[in-house]
Amino acid sequence: MSLFSWILPENIPWLTLLLIIPLIGAMITLVMKGRNAKYVAGGFSLVTMILSFMLFLFVDDLSTMSENIAWIDVMGVKISYALGIDGLSLLMVGLTGLLVFLVTVFSTEKERPNLFFAMLLIMEVGLMGVYMAQDYFLFYVMWEVTLIPMYFMISWFGGPRRHYASIKFFIYTHVASLIMLIGIFAMVFQAGALSGGTADFSFAAVSAAAGGFTEMFQILVFGLLFFGFAVKMPVVPFHTWLPDAHVEAPTAGSVLLAAVMLKMGSYGIIRVCIENFQLGAEWWQPVMIVIALVSILYGAWACIAQKDLKKMVAFSSISHMGMVLLGIAMLSEWGLMFAMFQMFAHGLITAVLFMVCGITGHNVGTREIPLLGGLAGKMPKYAGFMVFGFLASLGLPGLVGFVAEFGIMYSFYEYLAGVDMIYLIALVLLSLMLTAGYYMWAMQRTIFGRETKKVDLSEVKDTNRAETAVLVVLCALIVLFGVMPSLVTDVLGSAAVLGVLP
Amino acid sequence: MIIEYAWLIPFIPLMAFIIVGLFGKKTKGGLGSVAIIGALLAFVLSLLVSYEYLTDAAYADHLPYVLDLEWLSIGSVTLNFGIYIDSLTCLMMVFSSFISMLIFVYSVGYMKDQGQKKRRYFAEVSLFLAAMLGLVMASNFLEMFIFWEIVGVCSYLLIGFWSFEHPEGDEAADNAAKAAKKAFLVTRLGDVMIMAGLFVLLYVFGSLDYTTLFDVANIDAVMNQDPNMIMLASLLLFGGVIGKSAQFPLHDWLPDAMAGPTTVSALIHAATMVKAGVYLVARSYPLFIQSADVMLFVAVIGGVTALFAATMALNNMNIKRVLAYSTISQLGYMIMALGAGGYLIASAVGVESAMGYTSGVFHMMNHAFFKALLFLCAGSVIHAVGTEDMRRMGGLRKKMPITSITMLIGSLSIAGFPLLSGFWSKDLILEAVFAGYNGVDPVNYVFLLLFIMGIITAFMTAFYMFRMWYMTFGGRTAGPATEHAHESPKSMTVPLLILAVCAIISGYALFVGLNDLITFNEIGGVYVVGGLGHSAASILEDILTNIWTYVSVAVALIGIILAYFMYSRRSEKTRGSQDREHGFLYNMLTARYGFPKLYDGIALAGGYGIAKGVDYVDRQVIDGTVNGISNAIVGGSESMRRMQTGYVRNYAGFVIVGVILLVAVLCAVFYFIGGGL
Repeated sequence: MSLFSWILPENIPWLTLLLIIPLIGAMITLVMKGRNAKYVAGGFSLVTMILSFMLFLFVDDLSTMSENIAWIDVMGVKISYALGIDGLSLLMVGLTGLLVFLVTVFSTEKERPNLFFAMLLIMEVGLMGVYMAQDYFLFYVMWEVTLIPMYFMISWFGGPRRHYASIKFFIYTHVASLIMLIGIFAMVFQAGALSGGTADFSFAAVSAAAGGFTEMFQILVFGLLFFGFAVKMPVVPFHTWLPDAHVEAPTAGSVLLAAVMLKMGSYGIIRVCIENFQLGAEWWQPVMIVIALVSILYGAWACIAQKDLKKMVAFSSISHMGMVLLGIAMLSEWGLMFAMFQMFAHGLITAVLFMVCGITGHNVGTREIPLLGGLAGKMPKYAGFMVFGFLASLGLPGLVGFVAEFGIMYSFYEYLAGVDMIYLIALVLLSLMLTAGYYMWAMQRTIFGRETKKVDLSEVKDTNRAETAVLVVLCALIVLFGVMPSLVTDVLGSAAVLGVLP
Repeated sequence: MIIEYAWLIPFIPLMAFIIVGLFGKKTKGGLGSVAIIGALLAFVLSLLVSYEYLTDAAYADHLPYVLDLEWLSIGSVTLNFGIYIDSLTCLMMVFSSFISMLIFVYSVGYMKDQGQKKRRYFAEVSLFLAAMLGLVMASNFLEMFIFWEIVGVCSYLLIGFWSFEHPEGDEAADNAAKAAKKAFLVTRLGDVMIMAGLFVLLYVFGSLDYTTLFDVANIDAVMNQDPNMIMLASLLLFGGVIGKSAQFPLHDWLPDAMAGPTTVSALIHAATMVKAGVYLVARSYPLFIQSADVMLFVAVIGGVTALFAATMALNNMNIKRVLAYSTISQLGYMIMALGAGGYLIASAVGVESAMGYTSGVFHMMNHAFFKALLFLCAGSVIHAVGTEDMRRMGGLRKKMPITSITMLIGSLSIAGFPLLSGFWSKDLILEAVFAGYNGVDPVNYVFLLLFIMGIITAFMTAFYMFRMWYMTFGGRTAGPATEHAHESPKSMTVPLLILAVCAIISGYALFVGLNDLITFNEIGGVYVVGGLGHSAASILEDILTNIWTYVSVAVALIGIILAYFMYSRRSEKTRGSQDREHGFLYNMLTARYGFPKLYDGIALAGGYGIAKGVDYVDRQVIDGTVNGISNAIVGGSESMRRMQTGYVRNYAGFVIVGVILLVAVLCAVFYFIGGGL
């Protein structure tokens, strides 16, 4: 009897509970009124978070957690309700659990809070589902489930141009996911054809048959799936929905969008594309590298030109997700390991950044950088979090972002040394300079320097207690995983994708 | 076995940082005492560890004490986190913690009226010290780099200490914010080069541990494979040094960094930050010496910096900036010495070669003492008169006797006045550089040129230091700002006195064993710091019998005398000469050879200019295309506007169009794949 079976008995479907608890929470929250909605949602997301952390702490062998129930089995099509986790899934599940709870604590929505918090919880259901699904049909359904609450979150609770932004978000990502769906169908039916007729949507069945895909098929279907996922990440030039969505979305929406929803894209590339299409991945490798480098540099430069603090942070997400893609494109153990690490690191850091932006808009009244200045005097705690978040995001050693970037860049160097083009490493290093540049410049103009006269600061408040608590937790985690990265890499070591690499 | 607790040395100041940060708010003094005790404990422990390392028979062959923990292990690569103690580490941690402790004590008086900000100050300086100690004790390049960056961030925060709510108003706050940003970004440029260097080293060695990299067999194996890789890595590492130690052409952040409190300048210039660069060269010596060209480059950069920075100190009116330029110049000396010594080793010249290493590191230690002293004296003056402009000072000798005498000692020491600490190390440096000229076959005229530049720099150093001293303390007439000036409190003058004693005697450390500790050798197939160096007697003989020693002393004296005649008898009238027409040279020095403009220009063109272009492309081309396509699909801008109204019925059209398109794509793809199978 291990400790695990005492705490998490085997006959209870724990992964399903991770979906059901927030779902029930969402339904109850919907009928709540006033502040109660926040407390109920907080309670349910807390339970979900604790459960997801328990998976981290008490499960020795993740494969024992998988669940599989036949769902549809007609006319040669087999769809099952299959959930399972490996290192990568677990990390994203934990991140989702953590951040949904934290944004619930952080948010103080006064109008229609029941809808707001219900949307948060439904989003959690979708996100958990995407990261745990072991069946392509379920995966796609959950993928779409995340879309709807985010759409309503922007269009109901967003800023002045929320309708434009939400529609753009919805259509852009929806078109991409339909193309992804074509890819999934092609993949599943081809796998079915190869293995005797039944089109089985489960991950396991497709992986088993993936060895038989011809190179041409792999290249084509990799392309379809990659496009679907890449829009979600997003990569340049399919990124323009993101800054708009971020600028209009409420803080909670932005945090979840940047910290966990974008990761669905990179998760999909790793889980679906890389795991199943080795030949396709090799063919697409140069394209992925170019797209990644363009995203990294383009995003960084775009940041410098932004006037809206939040839009700047949104573009920085594009740059940092480019880093993830670069790591994936290396198709090596280091590259993938640190790409996954960067997904986690960026999730934590970007949450801090968007919360800081949210506080700027909320407390000062504007996020326009030219209107700000010298806020550190009036809002010392806020300034401290901003400095910390920006330093973490620009890859300060000792914090979690550095480990990820160092690993990705080193794997890129390894790749370049293999093809005898090490001077190209300068491109990535340039992005480090640009990143430091826009963050430093933004800080100089917002929290440092003379106190602004363009905004009335007489009534301005520093971060309140809930906001401070949430940010402290995130900052502590950023330090913890930066100092002890092996806590994350040990979990990632069991990621299935590392087993299929050449 | 106290050496096993060496990890406490950086850990104690780190704890002080956390304690001050968490609890300093409620207290009146901002918990300055905690910071001081942290530094004191770190100092005492450094002494004990050094004593054990230097006396224990186990380390008699100068091999380091190493303790490694696995930090991260991916595939075949393992990255460690640990400590590495050899005599270089011992020297660095002892003087860093000692000087920091004195500066913290001094800060209690200096920062007295800063109120709530004291907590931030003492927390950040403690972290600064912790990071510096971590840097010098790191057991591998990655760990060193981690602390290297934290040192950089601390300097950013401290230079920008007054970047908001500046006591002197908005203009000064803006300047501090700009200076902090500049310091971070310019040094960051060097830092990314180090990062590239780490990639190169990790790739060719498969490890970043010093113990692996300093092993002769490993280096030879790599050299046999591709001799250029170590050279490339050395140059990249040196790029970081150029940034951190403010060498030409990345020197221009350091004068601006004077926007921070004077105590911070003292920390940056004496105990931490800029010394990290020199330390890195000394530490990476086994790699650098693999190529004579790299070492020549190092020496040239050092020599150019030494001369170039000294010129800008000649006409500066700001007391702190004069000191800043002198730091850059002295750092140039150190780098030049290390380069010259390494050049000789790389050219396979025997016993003479140790001199460069010894003199460079030795000068770093001496400089730490007298530069800390000079900055703290300057701080004492600024504290008393409320300005940094030397034209408004003068005649302070009587009002501030302790400050004036201690600063005189510091100035004499840096000018290389005989028998003070600066004299010994500076002459050793010049001798090492001269050996670079005549010690190799055929002779290398580059080093002759560097040697002449060194002599000229020595002259200029003596001149501008005494120009500063006379303008501040000398003269019969008092400057306009000196009316209410009085000597600083004990907490400030006691550190001055202690440092003054150090500035006199630290040079004699060379004759009581330092010569054998701070030298570079290969023992048992490993490159180590320590071993047999020049004997004390031969050094003494070299210095005293060498004609060039007397030449350099003579030029220093001429510099002092010149400064005396030009500035000591100046009256109020000639003092305020800022309105006078100045020559081209004078203006060029004031404009710092146009470097600030050059930096701004690069940032504006490469950063903001391209950013504007990208932003335009983003809005007009990429997003324009996206919106254009959607307009074309739903039939023009009319429906686009309706779409934005948010009514659900309008979306129906979208969905239908989308589905039709997708079915078409789907059919096409399946047809295509079906054909290909």
